[in-house]
Amino acid sequence: MAIPLVEITLAGAIINASVHFVPVGGAPAAMATSTGVGTGTTQLAAGAGFTGLMAAAIMASQKGIDLSNPIHLAIILLSGAVGSMIMLALTMLLGQLIYVFGVGVVPAADKCEKDPITGDYQKSYITPGTTGHAVPTVCFISGLMGAALGGIGGGLAYIALKQLGFTSEVAGIIAVGFFFMNAVLASYNIGGTIEGFHDPKFKKIPNGIIASFIASLLTGVIVVGMSIGA
Amino acid sequence: MSHGGGGHAAELYPENQVIVIGAILAIVGMYISQFFPQVSMLLGGLLASGATVAGANTTRRVAAYGLGTGVPSIGMVSLGLGAISTLAGVLLAGVAISQFNLPKELLYGIPIIVTVVSIVLGYIVGKLTVNPIGMKIPIMVESMTKLSLMGALSILGFCAAYAGGFYPDTIIEGTVKNGVIGLAFIAAGMAILHPFNACLGPNESHKRTLLLAIACGFITWFMFSIAKLDIVSSVASILLWGIVYREFVKQSLKDACSVLYTPELPKKEM
Repeated sequence: MAIPLVEITLAGAIINASVHFVPVGGAPAAMATSTGVGTGTTQLAAGAGFTGLMAAAIMASQKGIDLSNPIHLAIILLSGAVGSMIMLALTMLLGQLIYVFGVGVVPAADKCEKDPITGDYQKSYITPGTTGHAVPTVCFISGLMGAALGGIGGGLAYIALKQLGFTSEVAGIIAVGFFFMNAVLASYNIGGTIEGFHDPKFKKIPNGIIASFIASLLTGVIVVGMSIGA
Repeated sequence: MSHGGGGHAAELYPENQVIVIGAILAIVGMYISQFFPQVSMLLGGLLASGATVAGANTTRRVAAYGLGTGVPSIGMVSLGLGAISTLAGVLLAGVAISQFNLPKELLYGIPIIVTVVSIVLGYIVGKLTVNPIGMKIPIMVESMTKLSLMGALSILGFCAAYAGGFYPDTIIEGTVKNGVIGLAFIAAGMAILHPFNACLGPNESHKRTLLLAIACGFITWFMFSIAKLDIVSSVASILLWGIVYREFVKQSLKDACSVLYTPELPKKEM
């Protein structure tokens, strides 16, 4: 009982943290006038997170996987992380192709003078009146980190629910609801758009984690109560 | 979209009135599905769409303040909380009966348990969005509570209508195992978040948004009727949808400053 409760609570906090890494551009990025992928936080995080959840669930249903073996648990979480990373990487890559070859803008980050990873200057490539374009290297790497965390969080929640004795279907639908709750709490904490870990808004991350921690603890208590009869 | 609302248009009906009517309709619909399974989709589905209309109305009120993350986020959180509280309510009743030797009649109270769980969950998550996170919307807590309630009622309403009852075995076997609850999750979510997302702007009017909300509720009902292969409800729902959607288009044309039908662009430059 206690271990799944701890796992669910941690999973919520990890999901919330993961959303802060994803480069979300929102409506301005849809017009290529802001850095990031042009859609909302919830949609991006949910898209990547669900792929991770599915990947983890598929790995968990393989023959010979034992939910009480820590190495097997690590494999399930890793599978979730990789599934989620592939999904978000493809989203960012295809978005990037459209931004560069379709719209014709240069990928540039607005929130840093120099790209912390490649060291390229960013400011001079930003069109006046806009806040950056497309998905520069630092945002791409940040997005991958976020996707990995999201997949681990979703997988951890699913494992905890399975350990409580729910069937795969019930565990899956509770995990989806749980993922949405934490992803939206994170997106309210961000308040619209974020570029990645170099964005000043990233410093608000503790508030989001605390909120998700409390909400997940409450959900965990409800879920443990539900599992007594299951 | 921080410019989400563009001010508050006058309300045709007070929000609380819509919430109470929507909740009562949806709960009555669940009991009809439970006791008269042969008409569960026809009446239960129709009444469950009352919950999505009430949810869409609350979305309109809270999203007009400008959430900063787009209207879909609050619709999805309402359905996420709704899915958790629906399953919690359905399973907790069984746990209470088996563990505390309570009478079996407690199962009839599942809609009430779901209501209570969703209100508690929505209230606490609403509080969290205000306190550590710092959303500056004055009606955030009450709106999250109402949206969580409406999400739960619409999921349980449509699931009960599909499965023909809200007993734990019926819901788990009839809707969770075959994945219909996923349809309830996303279709009801669309019906809650889409109306205001489509109608928002400086000239938003309550009548137009509500008409679209009712149309969305009916088309959700239509989807469930198709999924259940229920011919009578499918015909009834698509007819009702057609009538309401026609009204919505008429209202949109009436509200527009002027409607110009532009011809095709000329092939050659003149």
